[in-house]
Amino acid sequence: MSQKSSSEYVAVKLAKGVAEKRYYLISLLGVAAVWEVASWFLPPYILPSWALVFSSLMSLNMSHAWITVARVLIALTAAFACGLCLATLMYIFPKFEKYATPIVNLVMAVPAICWVLFSILWFRGQELRIFIVLFAVCLPGYVIDILDAIKNIPFNLREMILSLRPSKTQYITKLILPAIIPNILTTWKVNLGLGIRVVTVAELVGTLTGIGYALNFALGQQSIREITAWTIVLVSSLLALQGIVYLIEKRLLRWRK
Amino acid sequence: MIVAETLSKTFSQQDGVGFKAIDNLSLTIFKGEKVGIVGSTGCGKSTFLRIVLGVEQPSSGKLLIDGKEPYRHYSEFKGRISAVFQEDRLLPWRTAIENVVIGLEIMGVEKKTAFEKAMEWLNRLGLEKFAKAYPSELSGGMRQRVAIARALILNPEIILLDEAFGHLDEVTSRKLRADFFNILSDSKAIVVMVTHNLDEALESVDRIVVFGKPAKVLGDFKTDEYQRPRLKKLIQHLIETNKPFNLVQSGLGKV
Repeated sequence: MSQKSSSEYVAVKLAKGVAEKRYYLISLLGVAAVWEVASWFLPPYILPSWALVFSSLMSLNMSHAWITVARVLIALTAAFACGLCLATLMYIFPKFEKYATPIVNLVMAVPAICWVLFSILWFRGQELRIFIVLFAVCLPGYVIDILDAIKNIPFNLREMILSLRPSKTQYITKLILPAIIPNILTTWKVNLGLGIRVVTVAELVGTLTGIGYALNFALGQQSIREITAWTIVLVSSLLALQGIVYLIEKRLLRWRK
Repeated sequence: MIVAETLSKTFSQQDGVGFKAIDNLSLTIFKGEKVGIVGSTGCGKSTFLRIVLGVEQPSSGKLLIDGKEPYRHYSEFKGRISAVFQEDRLLPWRTAIENVVIGLEIMGVEKKTAFEKAMEWLNRLGLEKFAKAYPSELSGGMRQRVAIARALILNPEIILLDEAFGHLDEVTSRKLRADFFNILSDSKAIVVMVTHNLDEALESVDRIVVFGKPAKVLGDFKTDEYQRPRLKKLIQHLIETNKPFNLVQSGLGKV
């Protein structure tokens, strides 16, 4: 392909990408416009203009954002590792599954706010509190989704691999893990959304750092500008994290049509 | 040598009544033989293959390969038996060449050697240009060729074909079958081909075993000892009546 045709190809691809996203962009720009117009008629302590929000955004202490993101990623990684092990054990030992399923369901049924309260009462360290809350909220999703994914691997693929007589490790690495990657990535996307929402609530009441704490502080100042700015940071962080998972998905699942 | 001694397989069902797939089957297949197994749908042909493959355990009786049970001596048969199924059963996340090498990977063959060997097989089957294509990018015939390469790359002692050409169109199926048996023409491997297509069996193998329902041997014929149309009629008659050959032998003239 010549350089010219290559650049044309990139331009066409970009234009197509923008065209596909136009409804998304139009919708969001519409909301922003309505907000801006409404801010002309309402006092800034109720609805600040975008200019005010962005000036607050520039003055935020972004270390709170990094702390929040790090907390979510660490807890989710731990929940994922534990969920993968639990789901594998539940699959290998059906009796263990029978005992573990009610516990997983119980953990899942407990509301996030109750986990926040329990962790405040049970633990002293703020990091441990946040970790426990996120871990407890996200673990059941990983266990249930991974177990379902393992069970849903087509019988004919299992039989084909077994006919080649793999070791247990080979069976897991050559069949189980690649087959469940799509479900793992989907669960990561869902749990990132859940994690970001829950960590904010946990930080709101249980810590002195993170976006949740910063939001609580802004509330104390009655600064709607700052609350809106932090909300933008929170939403952007979530979208960025989900974007990373999306890129990984695009790479790992390139075999899907 | 494959020896089935009074082999039976019963599957338990939800209503508690067992479903008998194989009933006291006795059969011997010798080294280098190319055997076709025919019978009506659901007569237990595939179950027999799965027992030979070692992924199913018999309920009673024995299935021995060179004196050993493939189910019990699981890892001893690594790389010695391979199968081509009706569906290609390719791993969708692996490219054609990665699907071909999987058996060698499991056997611990060095990566470079395995990929070189896989490429040779893809060449032989006319797929060299599609080595890096994913199964979703290949046609049904191409996918089945990859599945055949995956089976043959192991140079197995036993090759099992479970309706391997059955879901392809007539032309593709005939071509692929011809290619397959050409490749194996000098091989000493046992080939067991399960099929519901009598013509396919008559064209490809040198011995046909007719299974009744549940699976038991109704007839066992060397294909070169009979006229093809006559043998075809006889086999059809055996399958329809579900009676062993010696019971219908007297009626051969009418068939």
